[in-house]
Amino acid sequence: MNETVLKMDDVDFSFGEQKVLEGIDLNLLPGERMALVGPNGSGKSTLLKLALGAYRPDRGRIFLFNTPLRQFRDWSRIGYVSQKANSFNQAFPATLREVVASGLYGKLGLFRWMKERDWHRVDAVIEQAGLAELAHRNIGELSGGQQQRAFVARALVGDPDLLVLDEPTVGVDAPSVDHLFRLLADLHREKGISLLLVTHDIETAKPYVDRVVRLNRRIAFPGNDEKRKPMQVVEG
Amino acid sequence: MKKGGEGCGPAASSVMIDMILTYDFMQRALIAGLVIGIISPMVGLFLVVRRLSLIADALAHVTLSGVAAGLLLQKQFPAFQTFNPMISGMMFSLTASVFVERLRQWYRSYQELAIPVILSGGIGLGVVLISAADGFSVDVAGYLFGSILAVSPSEIGAIIGAGVLVVAVILLFYKELFALSFDEESAMFAGIPRRSINILFGLVVALVITASIRVVGILLVSGLITLPVAAAMQLASGFKKTLFLSILFAQVSVFCGLAAAFYLDWASGGTIVLVSVLILLVVGGGKRLIRRVLRSGNGVRRRDAS
Ligand SMILES: Nc1ncnc2c1ncn2[C@@H]1O[C@H](COP(=O)(O)OP(=O)(O)O)[C@@H](O)[C@H]1O
Ligand SMILES: [Mg+2]
Repeated sequence: MNETVLKMDDVDFSFGEQKVLEGIDLNLLPGERMALVGPNGSGKSTLLKLALGAYRPDRGRIFLFNTPLRQFRDWSRIGYVSQKANSFNQAFPATLREVVASGLYGKLGLFRWMKERDWHRVDAVIEQAGLAELAHRNIGELSGGQQQRAFVARALVGDPDLLVLDEPTVGVDAPSVDHLFRLLADLHREKGISLLLVTHDIETAKPYVDRVVRLNRRIAFPGNDEKRKPMQVVEG
Repeated sequence: MKKGGEGCGPAASSVMIDMILTYDFMQRALIAGLVIGIISPMVGLFLVVRRLSLIADALAHVTLSGVAAGLLLQKQFPAFQTFNPMISGMMFSLTASVFVERLRQWYRSYQELAIPVILSGGIGLGVVLISAADGFSVDVAGYLFGSILAVSPSEIGAIIGAGVLVVAVILLFYKELFALSFDEESAMFAGIPRRSINILFGLVVALVITASIRVVGILLVSGLITLPVAAAMQLASGFKKTLFLSILFAQVSVFCGLAAAFYLDWASGGTIVLVSVLILLVVGGGKRLIRRVLRSGNGVRRRDAS
């Protein structure tokens, strides 16, 4: 059976009476980088959260790494940066290093402590994100772009196979956007990481992704440029 | 006033050490103060950064109705003559803390409603229960305002037990509490068991409140929980440093409260909270002053260069 990183199979979802997503079929393959675009309120963030198990679909099935979502427990294989990552309490008294380290806490599990090599990993990811000099600064003192990179570092510190980013370029300065996309390209080249990226800024993202999917409640254009046909469900 | 200043001074503390060695009640007061001065800011830090410090207040007032229920039992039923009202107080606040999770959802949409409802509900029930058994106002004052010198031998055991339990829970679940406090949604997606950790933390908060009531009183409990943390947040960088600094500030406040209670017969709870406020003002004002001096220093340098 071919492995899929994420598979959505005819998924419907509504908030109360309001239908948000309808008939969603989506396959993300290992090492594939997919950009999800669409107007505001088209359900992009909701789709991501549905894929991460925050909501239960009304209909259809969702698989992560070929495991039905309800049975999936291997959350450390997924790194997630939410759309409102930057709306945390800016007075929060934690250093960048402490925030990035918290990305390992779920993976470590209960009653396990950070070891020397975990801290090395934290420092390596901070370095990779170009934030080494800021490691001991309080997170609230950093610029928006630096904070966004810190959240990407937190998502990456557990060495995930899938990185899910919700509008990571909104309100971020140009050099940080640049740095982010180069970092994603490096990760893809070196580790074959899969990427699911929600973005407005399709022009900047385009060179860095394999497929652009347009969403407007339904998937309007599955973005298989070469084949120009609706996405196929990989047979299980 | 002059003596008050001496209360925290080095000369007075050597006299106090003699007192502590001589009197059992002083030993108990000191131990209770030490324990409370550690666990209050410990849970306080997590409450403050999650903007939930008002929940401590709400739970404290629920504890009051529990204490009042206990006092009523004690008065009405001979079988409960030796019953310690702190037990029913604790039961009330532990029960209420289980609902904190639901309260938080409510709190999000009706912030200005949920807390006053619980605060006044707790006080209202407490006052009704008190009046129903008319006239134990002296007992009640001790619970409302705290009296560190009145910690009984059986209570000191309970306070130490609560202290050990609270410290153990916070240390064991430090990672999870940190991750949930910083970013609940991401922590949840990382597989951290949100609900059970939050409920456990609520129970710990209830325990801290019950244990602190003897020392600072119901009306001032949230001050000891939040003020040292607020002061530490002005100074420290990083979560662990903030935690240690807030414990240090709390210890200073509790020690001053103890000294004021012993030498001046002042209310320990009031003094503790006043010292905490003073520390916060000094730290906050000092920080701003230093920043202004640095900024004007930079200005001078820039003008020199041009
Ligand atoms: N928690 C929620 N409760 C109710 N409705 C929601 C919630 N989150 C999003 N919605 C609604 O669902 C629709 C899709 O939202 P969202 O997925 O955030 O869109 P996008 O990310 O594409 O801008 C919007 O109409 C929004 O108002
Ligand atoms: Mg969105």
